[in-house]
Amino acid sequence: MYYIVFGYDMENKTTQLRKGILELAILGCLSRGRHYGYSLVKTIAGDSDIDLTEGTIYPILGRLAKEGLVRSEWVESSQGPPRKYYTLTPKGEEAYRVLDGEFRKLAAIVANSQRGPAVEDRNGDLNVLDVAKETENG
Amino acid sequence: MANGFSGPVAQIVDNYLERLRKGLKGIPAKDQDELVKEINSHIYESFRNDPAGDEVSRILRVLDKLGEPADVISARMPEAMVTLGKKKKLPFLILAGVLIAFFGVPLGLGGLSAAVGLILGVLALVLAFYIVAFSLILTGWLAAVIMIVRIFSPGFLDPWISIYPLVADPTFNAVLYIAGSLLIAAFGFGLLWLGSRMMRGVRFVFRFLFAKVKNWRKRAPAPTVAEP
Repeated sequence: MYYIVFGYDMENKTTQLRKGILELAILGCLSRGRHYGYSLVKTIAGDSDIDLTEGTIYPILGRLAKEGLVRSEWVESSQGPPRKYYTLTPKGEEAYRVLDGEFRKLAAIVANSQRGPAVEDRNGDLNVLDVAKETENG
Repeated sequence: MANGFSGPVAQIVDNYLERLRKGLKGIPAKDQDELVKEINSHIYESFRNDPAGDEVSRILRVLDKLGEPADVISARMPEAMVTLGKKKKLPFLILAGVLIAFFGVPLGLGGLSAAVGLILGVLALVLAFYIVAFSLILTGWLAAVIMIVRIFSPGFLDPWISIYPLVADPTFNAVLYIAGSLLIAAFGFGLLWLGSRMMRGVRFVFRFLFAKVKNWRKRAPAPTVAEP
């Protein structure tokens, strides 16, 4: 919805943010066991109400495979067509460890930033509306 | 293509996979097959896990969640094509990759050649137009000059050109021919003038198409953002 309000720039920002996090989520999922595409989507999305375009994980998986972080094999399924299972390579394990550590640091930064502005500012009389008024009055 | 489904559902899946395959043109056939097979498996699993409602609405919901074929391939394509281009040292393929990256359109090599062909075609048309205009002007002026010279020295260039006498009086005849020649030259200038108009039109068409492509590209990825 807010992509309509803020325009395409907002959508782009969200996509950028998602891509990196999604990659980390995929690595994290695979570090706990092998997955095929659909089970990966289900595990990542879980019960959250995040609106994931499922197809977007395949380009990411393709890139991870090309970088040698994951490997894949086709396994016959008891029902329906064979599934392509992905597992982390040792290089992928290492990459996940590093990225996960980095993400935790970044998440801490975001949490810090959301503790809110200093008290005097919060109670201060200069908020956005006042600024707008002042500008109007010249 | 056997995709594990039957009836109208199989057709819908086939149609989707076919569109996916079209978007993958230009990457090695083995990789195409692999990705199509993988997506087919995804559709199958997703369909099996979503048993509510009739089959057609189920498959449509599955495909909606999966996203457009472009979502499945977009990030992979340009890269794949650029590496392919490097391997074969074909700048054309690199160009294709860059174009796809720029426009986000998995044109494929067929689409790219069509685009290049179209541009070359338009350029050739414009060039041909100007050549015609300039030849008309040149011919008109040359003929007029020759006829003027012939008024004063009647035998000028005689073995090579012969003038059909439209009227009995040779001077009046020459004047008629001069007028005709100048008319041809004027026609050439008219074409030039038209050409400048045409260039404006061509520019307009290109800008229009470019804006269309840009807008289309903006709209192409479905808004996947959850409502706040």
